[in-house]
Amino acid sequence: MNIEQLPIINLILFLFMALLIPLLKRRPFKITLILGFIVMCLVLASSSHLLWHVNEVGSFSYTFGGHEARYGIEFLLTPFSALFTWVIIILAMIIYIYSSGDATEGIEQSEYGRYYVLLFILLLSMFGILYTNDLFNTYVFIEILSITTCAIISIKKKKDTYTSAFRYVMMNEIGSLSYLFGVALIYMATGYTNISMVSESIQVAFASYPFNIVIALAFMVIGLGIKAAIFPFHIWLPDAHSSAPSTSSAILSAIVIKVYLLVLVKILFSVFGIDILEQMNMPLILLILSGTAMILGSIFAIAQKDVKRMLGYSSVAQVGYILLGISLLSFLGLRAAFFHIISHGLMKTALFLSVGEIIFYKKTRKVNDFDGMGFIMPVAMGVFSIAALGMIGLPLTSGFISKLNLGIAVLENNYLVFLVILIISSLLNVIYYLPIIILAFLRNEKYHYRMTTIEKTPRTMITPLILLGILIVSLGLFPNVIMPYIEAAVETFIS
Amino acid sequence: MNDIIIKNITRIIIPFAQMYGIFIILNGHISPGGGFAGGAIIGTTLILYTLVFGREKGKKKFSHKMSEISESGGIMLFVIIGMIGMITAGAFLSNLSGGFPQGQLGEILSGGFIPILMIGIGIKVTSTMISLFNLLIDEEKL
Amino acid sequence: MNIIERILENINYIGAVALFLIGLRIVVLHSNLIKRIMGINIMGTGVFLFFVAIGNVSGGVVPIVGANPEGSTFVNPLPSVFILTGIVVVVSITVYSLSLVIRIYQNYNTIDQKELAELISEDNNEH
Repeated sequence: MNIEQLPIINLILFLFMALLIPLLKRRPFKITLILGFIVMCLVLASSSHLLWHVNEVGSFSYTFGGHEARYGIEFLLTPFSALFTWVIIILAMIIYIYSSGDATEGIEQSEYGRYYVLLFILLLSMFGILYTNDLFNTYVFIEILSITTCAIISIKKKKDTYTSAFRYVMMNEIGSLSYLFGVALIYMATGYTNISMVSESIQVAFASYPFNIVIALAFMVIGLGIKAAIFPFHIWLPDAHSSAPSTSSAILSAIVIKVYLLVLVKILFSVFGIDILEQMNMPLILLILSGTAMILGSIFAIAQKDVKRMLGYSSVAQVGYILLGISLLSFLGLRAAFFHIISHGLMKTALFLSVGEIIFYKKTRKVNDFDGMGFIMPVAMGVFSIAALGMIGLPLTSGFISKLNLGIAVLENNYLVFLVILIISSLLNVIYYLPIIILAFLRNEKYHYRMTTIEKTPRTMITPLILLGILIVSLGLFPNVIMPYIEAAVETFIS
Repeated sequence: MNDIIIKNITRIIIPFAQMYGIFIILNGHISPGGGFAGGAIIGTTLILYTLVFGREKGKKKFSHKMSEISESGGIMLFVIIGMIGMITAGAFLSNLSGGFPQGQLGEILSGGFIPILMIGIGIKVTSTMISLFNLLIDEEKL
Repeated sequence: MNIIERILENINYIGAVALFLIGLRIVVLHSNLIKRIMGINIMGTGVFLFFVAIGNVSGGVVPIVGANPEGSTFVNPLPSVFILTGIVVVVSITVYSLSLVIRIYQNYNTIDQKELAELISEDNNEH
């Protein structure tokens, strides 16, 4: 068996694990957890090997059943897909270890098995989206992803979860069907759904059926925009975040939204190509959307009293940063966007998991109740502070590096307005993150009576948090470790 | 429902409908139809049975455990057949190059592994149809 | 005259787009949750009809080897296979959202979006 089988083996491992969990229902739950961890370790090993292979030896394609790519289904392993599957599995492992520490707040004991089934199918679909080189296959995986995401939100048996999950389903389904409509229009104009084939023939198709291609682009960008919570379509996101269990929010915000953005990158750069995008003035539209998202997302976040809603709105602003990098259509811009996807993934995971621990033990989610929390739960609050400082963009954290890169990319295109927006947005971040840290660590005089720490948290919950803190800082100190891989990933789209 | 006409007609119809479903599953590779269509037909007969005779009797015909096993089993069959091709020919779901016999065009046993895949899909779709329906009923009772 | 002919030629596509838009309108503007699910289904049907219309070849026959005389034109089977997958997806989405609606009804005793919004804001004020 050679290395080209590894991507499909990853998917089969996830699928088998998801199928195995219901059958292990009568055994102790620890067996399931350990098996799941073994599966994740195996996938991590194979993804790391693929990342190394793709960067050292070169990208390769894998066709199902040995059929030619234009007739069959094709998996394309590029530095892009290898890098981001690797990032996803690392983040997922951290969240998995955390959630095994009994902190899946609000989920009933009997639902644990289902939660992990959903988690593994979620991972399967995200890996599939990144590996596949076929527009229709992407649609199928997107649908699996959206159903499992909705289910993982609504797994908590609480009143408001159902309404927010319902809204999420409806928005998601409008998004998926719009995307499918775009695929239909492209298929009509070019006769292919394979991305490489489409990109070869799209210039000709654009000359003869410009109408089709324009509408297809509009439908696909709107469809993926709804799913990625790009600014005017973000309304589902804060509700979904605040009502879901913390681990689900972490998965949703740190990984799932990013996957949709990566699909958007794939569609924009691989399918349509920069020429068509510039002829249609797409960059300008996306730039305006990203600018409004960066400002308004932060302003909405300031107004929130619920921590998780605040983090949700902060995600809207951060998606704006990533979209800004993408819509510059330049090497530096895409590099900044990719770096920010990784660093925001780490920071948001850290924020949601630490907030999740606080909610789990203190049963409070109001921002004002965080007074003196730094002395009660030093580790959780410490990691929260590191991640929050990263969100603001202070040096020594990964957030600083991504903002620096974004600033350089903006300056290269001479969009001074967006540099100003970037700085304003960072200042707005200060307004809503810094008070929490100050409240937690510096204003404890009144609360001497509850100075005792209650850090009895299981080690499985503390370890991932510490790991995330270390990763955020080390990515801020040594960004060059991962930069070559990101640059290789960018080169798949822009040479 | 306690109507004798409906009960008797259902009893008569169900075997024929299920035979038809099995026929469509088995002929999926040489005529229109296939695992999904046939599985949907068989699933509908089970739903009809539950509707007419009630959830308790329906449970006896197709228990929760059975639907769980057949749901996982349908996918497992598909994946395992795919993995055989992976081992013999080096690509997931390799059909003829993976050593599956081609057979005579137009026969039931032809087209390599496609009939087997169709059976897998049929099992999966049948159990999914009935378990989705049961899920909705149980949800209502809660 | 020319316009009418063109409309008649492309009636499949026009119908598909019309269905898509009708569905979208229902999903976005209706306040009854069940009707919104129906809207999703109508939207889906629009897209599926569009796919099938792409695959249609006028005068084409069923694409089965050996069932037709040599040299006849086949209808493109690929879009039909696509929509088969799409139908499965829409069925599962429908079931999932219907079960959510049942839960919503059990908790709030209404499936009207406007009443739900009032109830939820009352809940939030109590806390």
